[in-house]
Order: sequence, then C-alpha cells, then structure tokens
Amino acid sequence: MAVNWAERVSAFSCRPSHFLSGTNAEAFLAELLRELRDDRASDSVKVLMLFPLCEHPSLLCPSDSIGEETALELMSVFLQCPSKSLQLRCHLLLAITSVIVCTSCVSSHTPVSVDFIDLLLQLSQNNSDVFCESSPQSIRSIACDSLRELEACCPGLLFQHIELLGGLRQQETTLLHQAYAGLYVLVLRNAVYQLTQETEAGAEHLKALLGANASITWEADRFSCLANKRDLSVLSCLIRGPMGFVPTLKTGPDCKELRSVLSSLLEESYLLTPLCQAAMLHRLTEVVAMVPGVHPAIFRAQILRLLGTSQVCLLHTTLLMKYVFTDSLFSAEDEAFMLKRLVVLAQHPLLSTSEKLFYMDCMLHFPENRPISCNDGDEALPVLLTPQLASVLLPTVLNESFTMLARFNMMSLVYLDEVEGGEEGDGKGLAYLNEHLNSLLSIVRSCASRDVVVAFFRAAFLYLMYFCHIRGYSCSLIEKLCELYLHHTKLAPHLITLINHIQNMFPESDWAEDLLKALQRAITQSLLDKLTLQDLHFHLKMLARIAQEAKIPQGSTLKFLADIITSTFSTLCTSDWCLGNSILEVCHRLLLHPSLETMLVPLADVLQHLACCYGDTDIQDHACLYYALLTTLSREKLGGVFTRGKTEEGQQVKTRTLSTLVAESEGLTKMLTVQQSHEAVFSLNKVRTEIQETKADAESHVHSTLGEANATLEVYRAQFKDPDFASEIILNYQMDHINGHNPYFEQLFSIHLHCSLTDDNFEKIDDIIIPYLFRDRPSPVVKLRMKPRRPCPTTLQVTALFTTQDGLSWHTVLPDIHVDFQYIFIPLPSPQGWGRDSKCHLFEQLWNEFCLESGDSASSLFCCQVKVSLVNIVNKHLSSYLISDMSQEEEYKVLFFFPPQFHVLLRIRSDEENRVHFKIATDNWQLLHNISSFLQSITSAKEDTTE
Amino acid sequence: MSLRALWVISHQSGENATVRFSRRFSTVEYRAKCLAGSTYVEVPEEGTVLQLLLTELGLSDPDKFYVPLRDDCLHRPRLPALELHVDGPGKGILWPVLTISHGPLILACLCLVDCPLEPRPPLANLFSVSQGLTLLRGLQTFLLGSGSKADTEGLSCRLAMLPSIMLQVCPLGTPLDVPTVATAATPSVPIPAGNQKQPAWKTGFHKGRAVVNVAVKETVRSMQYGQRSRQDLWDVYGTVTCKCEVEGVLPNVTVTLTLPPNGSPLQDILVHPCVTSLDSSILTASSVDNCDGSAFSGPYKFPFSPPLEPFMLCSYTSQVPVPPILGSYQLKEEENHLRVSATLKLHESVKNSFEFCEAHVPFFNRDQMGAVEMKVSSGQLDVSKEKNLLVWSLGPKFPKSLEVTMEGRITFSGPTPGPTDPLCTELTAYIKLHFKVPDITLSGCCVDQHSVQVYSSAKPRISTSRELESKEYFIWNSTGNAPVSSAQLML
Repeated sequence: MAVNWAERVSAFSCRPSHFLSGTNAEAFLAELLRELRDDRASDSVKVLMLFPLCEHPSLLCPSDSIGEETALELMSVFLQCPSKSLQLRCHLLLAITSVIVCTSCVSSHTPVSVDFIDLLLQLSQNNSDVFCESSPQSIRSIACDSLRELEACCPGLLFQHIELLGGLRQQETTLLHQAYAGLYVLVLRNAVYQLTQETEAGAEHLKALLGANASITWEADRFSCLANKRDLSVLSCLIRGPMGFVPTLKTGPDCKELRSVLSSLLEESYLLTPLCQAAMLHRLTEVVAMVPGVHPAIFRAQILRLLGTSQVCLLHTTLLMKYVFTDSLFSAEDEAFMLKRLVVLAQHPLLSTSEKLFYMDCMLHFPENRPISCNDGDEALPVLLTPQLASVLLPTVLNESFTMLARFNMMSLVYLDEVEGGEEGDGKGLAYLNEHLNSLLSIVRSCASRDVVVAFFRAAFLYLMYFCHIRGYSCSLIEKLCELYLHHTKLAPHLITLINHIQNMFPESDWAEDLLKALQRAITQSLLDKLTLQDLHFHLKMLARIAQEAKIPQGSTLKFLADIITSTFSTLCTSDWCLGNSILEVCHRLLLHPSLETMLVPLADVLQHLACCYGDTDIQDHACLYYALLTTLSREKLGGVFTRGKTEEGQQVKTRTLSTLVAESEGLTKMLTVQQSHEAVFSLNKVRTEIQETKADAESHVHSTLGEANATLEVYRAQFKDPDFASEIILNYQMDHINGHNPYFEQLFSIHLHCSLTDDNFEKIDDIIIPYLFRDRPSPVVKLRMKPRRPCPTTLQVTALFTTQDGLSWHTVLPDIHVDFQYIFIPLPSPQGWGRDSKCHLFEQLWNEFCLESGDSASSLFCCQVKVSLVNIVNKHLSSYLISDMSQEEEYKVLFFFPPQFHVLLRIRSDEENRVHFKIATDNWQLLHNISSFLQSITSAKEDTTE
Repeated sequence: MSLRALWVISHQSGENATVRFSRRFSTVEYRAKCLAGSTYVEVPEEGTVLQLLLTELGLSDPDKFYVPLRDDCLHRPRLPALELHVDGPGKGILWPVLTISHGPLILACLCLVDCPLEPRPPLANLFSVSQGLTLLRGLQTFLLGSGSKADTEGLSCRLAMLPSIMLQVCPLGTPLDVPTVATAATPSVPIPAGNQKQPAWKTGFHKGRAVVNVAVKETVRSMQYGQRSRQDLWDVYGTVTCKCEVEGVLPNVTVTLTLPPNGSPLQDILVHPCVTSLDSSILTASSVDNCDGSAFSGPYKFPFSPPLEPFMLCSYTSQVPVPPILGSYQLKEEENHLRVSATLKLHESVKNSFEFCEAHVPFFNRDQMGAVEMKVSSGQLDVSKEKNLLVWSLGPKFPKSLEVTMEGRITFSGPTPGPTDPLCTELTAYIKLHFKVPDITLSGCCVDQHSVQVYSSAKPRISTSRELESKEYFIWNSTGNAPVSSAQLML
C-alpha cells in the first residue's frame, strides 16, 4: 500500500469538492478510519489524517448517524492509543469535538456526546502525571479547550459542572489555570445569561449557581442546552453599547459571591496571556452588564494597566468596556485620554499598518460616554476630536495607499464638519486636502503606475463625495483631471468610473457633466497627427461615455469622428478592428442621443464612410447595420431597439421583446406597408463616358519584344479560359431626383434598385443598394454591371424601394434604361504589360483570320464623306479603342471588343477629298449591321464640326 | 472572539501566489452558521479565497492596467478588514477578513461575527478583530522575524512547524497565545511551586544568578526642507528592551527611567502587559497635546514580572529641540549636468562618535550616472553598483568644525535608464542619512544601573545600554518641490 497520505490530505483540504467528486465521502471516511486503526501507520500520518475530520466534519459525515458512528470510532481509537502518543491523542480530541459539534450530536444529547464530555472532564482533572502533562501541549489543556468549545457551541452544556470547574480553576497552579479560567468564565457567563431568562430567578439563584448555597437544587437537565430550546441570542455578544438591550438579572445589591469570584478572576487576569486576558475581561464585562447588582467599578483596578498597554487586544477590550459601562466606569478625563491615545496609536511609528488602521476605525466608532446620536453603523467623529487634535492624521504622499485613504476619509469627515458647521475654521484643512490631492495628481502625472493611479482615483472619489459642492476646488479639479487625461489617456476607464459614481451619488450636481464637457473639448481639439493608436482608442472610449450625456451637444464629437476616418492618420489603421469597433461604439451611443435629429446627416456620413471604406468587413457590416437602422427606423424605434438591448445587458435580449416593440408601436400598419409612388421620383442617367487613356498607351514601345510575336494570339486567347475574363461591361449612371417633385422626397434613404431584363441577351443583374439620395447633395453614382450573353443593345426596366425621413417605405418605377450599341463594347482586353507592338501584332493576326470569312467571320467596307478631319473623329470617339499610334495618320487600326468574346476590327483611312474608308473585319457577322449605324452616327454628328 | 479560518499565503509582488498554510475551524463555522442564519456565507475553497484576497489587495492581474473589480474607485478596501465578494452558488460577502501583508507573506483570517450581520456592525465593536490581529501579528513575527528580510529557507522551516504551533496557540479557533520561538522549543522543565500560580506567558523558570539587561534605543526621524515656507520636522521615539533571568515563579523587577534636569517629558508611553502597575502620571503626557511645563518628567518607574524571553518593556516618544544633524541640499540642473551641493552639520550636544554614518544620495528616474566630479570635505564617496546612488561614508567622527560638505557635478549618460520612483523625480530629490551613535539618547532618557531593583536572594548582575539611530532621515533638495510629510505644523 503506497498511499501518499500527505498528498491526499492536502488535495482534499485544498479542494474538498473536487476531491470528493473523484471518490465519495463515505469511502474516504472509511479509508481514514481504517488507517487510523492500523497499528503500522505512524502517528504523524495519523495526525495528518485527522485534519480532514477537523476541518470538514460535515462533508465527511453528512448525517448525524454517520457523525455518531465516526465519533464512536474515534473515541475507541483514542482509548486504545498509547499515552505517549501525545500529539495524536490531542488531535483525536479535536477531531471528535469537531465531529460531534458539526453533526449536532451535542445538541441532541446522543450517548456518544455524553460519553465524550465525561471523558473530557475526566481528562481535565487527571493530574496523575504532573511532570509530563503540565506542558501547554498536554491532553488536559486540549481537553479544557474542547470543553470550552462545546460550551460555546452549545451554551449551558456544562452548567451542571460549574462548581467543579470553579474549584479546578482555583486550585490549579500550573499553566493549566489559564485553560480552566477560560472555560469557567464562559460557563459562568452562559449560566448567568440563562438566569436572566428565568422570570423568577434572583439573588438566591445566583448564589446557588456559584455553589455557596445548596438550598436550591437544580433539575438535572434544566440547563441542558440553551441554544437548543431558545433563540440563538445566547451565542451573540451581549456588548451592545449604551443604547442596546442587555438582559439583566434582578439581584439587589447583595451579590457578594459573584463579586468575590469576579475579583479573584480579575486579580489573576494578569497571569494570563494577553489574548486570554482580553477574552476573559470581555466575558466578565458581559457578566457584569447582566448583573446590575455588581458595580462596574470592580474593573477599576485594572483600568490603568489596560490604558497603558501596548497590546491591541487589551486596549480593544477596554474600549468595549467603555462602550458598555460609559461614565459609570470611565470619567470624562478617561474619555479624553482614551481618545488622545487612539490618535497617538493611529500613527505610532512602532505599530504595524493594520493596527494603526484598526485604531482609526475605533476612532470613527469611538464609544462616547454621552453619544449625540445612536446610529450604530455609521462612521461619526467623536465630539472631542477637534481638527487640531486630528491634524496629526492628515494624509501625506509618503503613506502607503491603504493608510493614506483611511486618513483622507477621516480628515474629510473632520473638515466636513468644519465646512458645514461654519465653524471658525479658516478652511485651511480643506485647502490642505485639496493640495494633497494635487500632489497625488502630480505623482500620477510623472509616474502613472497602477497602484498610484488607483489610490489617486479613490482619494479623488472620497474628496468629491464629501466636497463636490465646494465649487472652487472641484472646478479646478476638473481642469487638472482633463490635463492629466491628455497626458495619460490610459486613465480613461478610471475617469469614467469616477464620473459614473459621482453622477450616481449626486444626480443633481453638474460636476460630472462639466468634467465630461471639458474632456470632450480637450479630446476633440487634440491634434490628430500627434495621437497614437492607443490614445485614439481611449479617446473614443471617453467620447462614447460623453455621448451618453443628453445635455452635452455632440457636434464636436461627430466632427472628430469624421476627421479620424478621413484623415491620413486613419489610412494607417483602417483595418484595425478594435479601432473600428470603438468608433462604432461612439456612433451607437450617438444614435441614442436626444439631439440625433440635428446630427443625422454627419452621423450618416460617418457611418457610410465606415461602411464603404473601412478595411475590416465586420466593421463595414456593423456600420451598414447602424446606417440602415439610422435611416430606416424612426427615433423612437431606434431608441427602443438600442435601449432594450442596453438595459438587458448581460442577459440575452429576447427576440420577443424586440418584436413586441414593433407590434406595439403606433401606426403599425403604415409602418409595415410599402407605399407606392405614382410618379417616378428619381431617374438614372448615363454618365458621359470620359475618354480614358488606356494604360497601354502610356507605356512605351520598349516593352514589346516581337520575339514572342507568334505566341501573341495564343496568349491573348488563353485569357478566355477564365469564363469571367472580360465578361462584364460596367456602366455608370447618375441617380438624380426628377425635377419639380414634392419636398417629401427630398431625402431618401436605403434605396434598393432592382433591374429587370427585357430580353435574354444578358445575365440577370444583381440588385443595387444606395445608402441615400439627398436633393441638395451631389448625386450618387450607380455602377451597373452587365454580363452580355450576346452583343446586342437592350432596355432595362428599373424599380426601387426606399425609405423616407419619416421612416415609411416606398416603391417606385424609374424610367427605363436603354443600353445602346456604343455601350456594349470595350477596348481590347490585352494581357497586362502588352505594348502597342504586341497589340498591333494581335490586330494583324485577328484581321487575317477574320478575313478568311470562315464560320461567323465576315469583312465589310463602310465609306462616307466627313465634314471634319478624321483625326477629330478618331480622337473623339475611337481613341480608347485605337490599336495603332495616333500619329500614324495614314491608317488607324481600331478594335472593339464585345463581351463575352467577339471583336470588330477597323482599318480607317481617308483620302484628300475627306472621304473615309472603314475596312471592317469581325468574328460575328451579326454585328455588321449595328457597326454600320454606329459609324454613320459618329461620322455624321454635327457637333464634331463645332469641336 | 473566534476565527473561522486562517490562511498564510506567500507571493512575489503579487505573482506566484500560493496558499502555504490554511486552517478551517469547523466548530466556529458551526457557530457562524447559527449566528448568521440566512445571511450565512460559507468559506470558499482555498483557491477562491486566494484569488479574492489578491483582488482586494490590488495584486491580481499584475499585467492589466485596469480591472473593474480590483480598481473601482468607489470600492475602498479597508485594511485591516477586507471583504471578499464570493460569487457562484455560495454567493455573498465574507467579512471581516483580517489581512496583514508583509514582505513575501499575506496572513489572513476570517473573524466570527457574534452579532447580527445586518446592518453591518462597526469593526471596532467586534471583539474577535483585535484577537485576530494579535494572532496574525504574532504569526508574522514568528514566520518572518522582526525584520522584513525574506529568508526563504527559514520561512519554509517555520511554515512546516505551523500545524503543531497551531495546536498550542489556537487549537479550536479561539486564539490562546501568539506563537513564539520559545513555544516552538521543547518546554523547559517547570518547578512545582507553592501556591503561586504560574503565569501563562512564562513557560519555564530560570535557575541561577539573576541577570538583568536593559537597553534603551532611540530612533530619530526627520524631514528637512531647507525652505522658509516649510518647517523642518523631526521626532524621536524610544524603546526599552529587557532581558531578565531571575529566579522564582513571579519575581519582581523594577526599572526606572530618568531624564536630565530640564529634559522634556516622555510622551505616549506604552507598556508591556507584564508591567504590574502604573502610575497615572506616567501616562498623561501625550504628543498630540499641548504640553505644559508642569508635566510630570520622571522618574518613570516600571514594576514588572519578567517573562523568560527578551521583551519590549515600554516605548515612548519625545520632543527634542533640535535635530542631531542639520543638513542642506541643493541641486541645480545645468545644461547637461546636475550641480550638487550639500552640507551636514552635527549638533554640538550630540556625541561625536558614530558606529556608522552614511549619507545616501539617490537619483531616480534618470539615466545611469556618467561622470561624477564630486568633492567631499570629509569621508569617502562611492558610486553604487547600479549607478544611481552616491554613498557618502562619513566614518566614525565629524571633523572638528562639526560640519562636512559635498560639492560637484554629475552627468547622466549611462547606457540604461536607472530605477524609477514615483516620489523622487527631477529636482524633487533627497539625501537620506543612516547613522547610529552608541551610548547616547537624544531625549537624555537613561536607566541607571543602580535604579534597577530585583527582589531576589542573590545579587543580580545588571547591565544597561543606550543607543541612538536614524530612520527615515531625509534632507530634501531645497530648490525642488518636496512632498509634504506632515501638515500638522502647516495648519
């Protein structure tokens, strides 16, 4: 058996639930008990195995019966344990105590608990082996401690033995007297408490309790277990201050026995360790408080010793005594002295931080003899604590943060009194606190380390909490915070939390809003090119917060957003998702801003820009969504949608809530119906094709190497292996309002264009979405992408869906679009990097091929008389399609490419009489008809003469 | 007055935090459950407690600049009692978790609240708090010694002793005593005495000649600004430490402190619990009071019965008219170097015989020092290894004039930036003095060998000593903006 118990036990202690999920409590308990009985296991291992039982008895013994069995087992192990196994025996007692307390064996008087108490009492009296057992480790002291714990958990349990215990305490001279004293005092306290609960109990009963008078006999189980029968108040501390209720025992002044017991205990208290001494004094304070017949002056002899002590527990007991007995034990001078002591101790160089801070807490809850108010929980300054006296506790930058903040809080209370009470203080105190805050601020400015920053903001919060209403200081703080923020933008989350808390705490104060305004000014005026990406991130965070303020105009914020997304700075990071998201966050808040009306257009601009130009698709999509929401939903709906989402943050927004939102809104039918406009609202007009220099023209002849001339045609044809190659024509149309139409359609949003074909010469055309159309803005350009199946002119029917400003949806029919012959051809789609020579070469090869007139190929001739020079015509209409050089005037070579894969080649010459010869070759003879009309139109056009 | 659980955690500035020792007191937990009723919050498992504690102390997630749970300005963790916000099934607030964070250790315990938890009672009204604090402080001293130096091996060794120590000092959650090295040792053999009860804080008896050793040690702190607008500050506090080996169960010893004829009274006297009685006049003088000339000024008698181990009999503070060393310090930023000049003057009333005296001149938030062209009128000047500190060793004596000076210039051209410090930036700089003078006290307080009374049969051997040392002795650059250290005199 190689079970490593150390590991198992530590695994259990560390994560009991996890450990027990691997095995089960019953099995583990059985294993422990078996091992404890095993003689081969060493004592130290057995001690180790008792820890789980001591620490988690209720986990291992889930029911009372299992607890009882376990306790029995452990007791038998104990009894069989050799007396030299001191440590093991001690731990066994602790384990049994834990088990029987936590499984309620004690409170239900199971036989095992009765046996165990008997065992403990026996052990505690057994002084047979004085020499070996008087060490504090002895079984006896552990037995006493177990008894004390049993009595503490089940008050009244040992009542019957009070006399015995009193005797033991008095006789004992070894260290054990401390354990007896502790046990006895607790049993006494619980017994006296029980007497206070009996209506007929009086002095006689108290005497009987202390064993001086046997005339009253107690029924054996009268006090069996108080906690069992009554409420649990007996477990609670009885020290409740002058205003609290303490049950009392009516005894009259004759309590000689009790007094003598108390005196003897107090006299010997000096012999106890400070911790036990303090505990005993505390219990005795409770006893005296319950028995008015004993005057608190009984403690008098101890007071001076206690007031001078360096021990925190002893001084604390004294303070609690004062809390109960007030001026019946402590004079006014004592009170003043104690307060001064606390001030001294709260900054004493020899004490630890925690002690000092505890003393400060004691000052804020100082038990005054005559308290003005009785609000128990609140911090309040004792009357005697003057600003002068407290001034030693002013915070300094040299304090560590916990101390600094505790002092700041306390001194704020001190000076708040001064400020509010209009006392003769000259405001220097407040000025000091303000200066201190400024010193902290300058430290943060020079070294914004995490802890320094947090301490500063906590101090700032305290300051504002108390002095927000002192305008002068709080205004200057705004300025400084702004400046600090610009210096360390990473403080944004700290500032935002501060602002939120101040706003929650003082809804009527303008401070938070003023700070936000100042921050908005500071941020929007900052120079973009000096910002780092991190700065920008925090600025946006801050602006998002500012956008939540209904009263703050958001114009400058929007301008700042527009500047960011259009500035050169942003080109560096327009694919940063985080940045985009931060911008969207601000937009989101702006969408909810009450002044949305006034910033509709700039906000739409920003969103549109994001939707079109931002380098991250997710951001684009979101921007689109926001844009669509902004332009299609009414303000109320928008608010509804967003705030619903917001208020239920953290939970999932239920779809139903969103749908009910729409269903319940007014004018529902109108909202949901698409309106039909009877006349066309806008139209699409062809953008005049600008003559573009093709790239190939710009390139020189240098590129062309005729070495590969033979390959030219193959290279060119190879491109068409890709079915999408040069298969599209793109036509630009401008979307314009139709003149003279009603102002209702001045601003249109989310325009959805649908084009229907009138023949089957083209592939189906995708719908097109245009974000908006405003009459007073430049018209948007619509790119129509068409895929011809056959090179024929066509007509398109266009309809549109759009939203107007009031949120209604409309359907309209646009004038037809005629796609003329001149729009269905494009320049030669030559491979990249081809020079003019290659193109000429290709031209020649194609020409030769088409002139063979095989298949659909054909050649033709078109002649006409022109009024202008040929150069002009070519320049104006054919330059984009020109293959030969413009300067070669004797013959122009022109090539029209018709997607998907047709060509028309022209060789153009003119003679002296201005007659022009167009030699035509094509691979689709059906084009000849159209090409003739086209040539006719360009040669006969009058405007040519004018130009 | 009991504790529900106790944890000892070790960490390295917030990182690698582990629970080194923990103890849950199930019977106290049972009481807590009864007392709190529906407001009861179970103690979570170790790992959870550790995480919550680190968050409260601002030590969790050291790489994140802002964590709402940790850094919210509304929430001010109030040492010594933290509240742990337990999430999950056992949701609620655990309070009060007393915490002492010192060096590499965090010691924490959860106190039993023996009154209704709502409304939350003031910390000051819970008796278990001072019990817990005392135990934690005792554990801290036991584990780390009085110094804060981390001694990893010693620490592990003492941590390993904790289970058996806890059996003695806090077997069932009610602290009985604080652990001392003496409790850890095998208890010495007691002598069964007559009727006199043995003090619980005395685990054995001395046998042999009585030896009493009384040491008075004073510590002086100072903030010198060298500016008219700001008053220089200094204060002195003293401790009297005794080691007494005297026969008997409860022997009586009396130590008397005396002051020179017109010495200012000892203030804020705190005494060890073994002092049997006190005269009220001893306690009256307080540093926060306006002291009047008529105040009691000794002799201060302390009758006590000593424990076996050395202990601090009492402590006091004193107001002395002048600081022992008056300094002035000027820094000037000139082109690419810093001009430094400093003067230190020993007060004539102070014995000119030091065990050591060093002035440390740090330069934080700058590059490392390059050329150091400094001249000192006395002593020796060294540049620290990190090149951000000048150490001026003044030796055992000031020269006859009692004044020493240092002057020169320093350029900062080191390849790497030196250490940073939030307080000491640019011209906000200081000289820190470290010195120790044997055989004097500034207040003049002393223990006469003959005034020590020991009531024992054999003639006791008595020795006394005095010593003055500095701590936090700062001389700020008068041309810079020194942080205010105390406003008391300003107001």
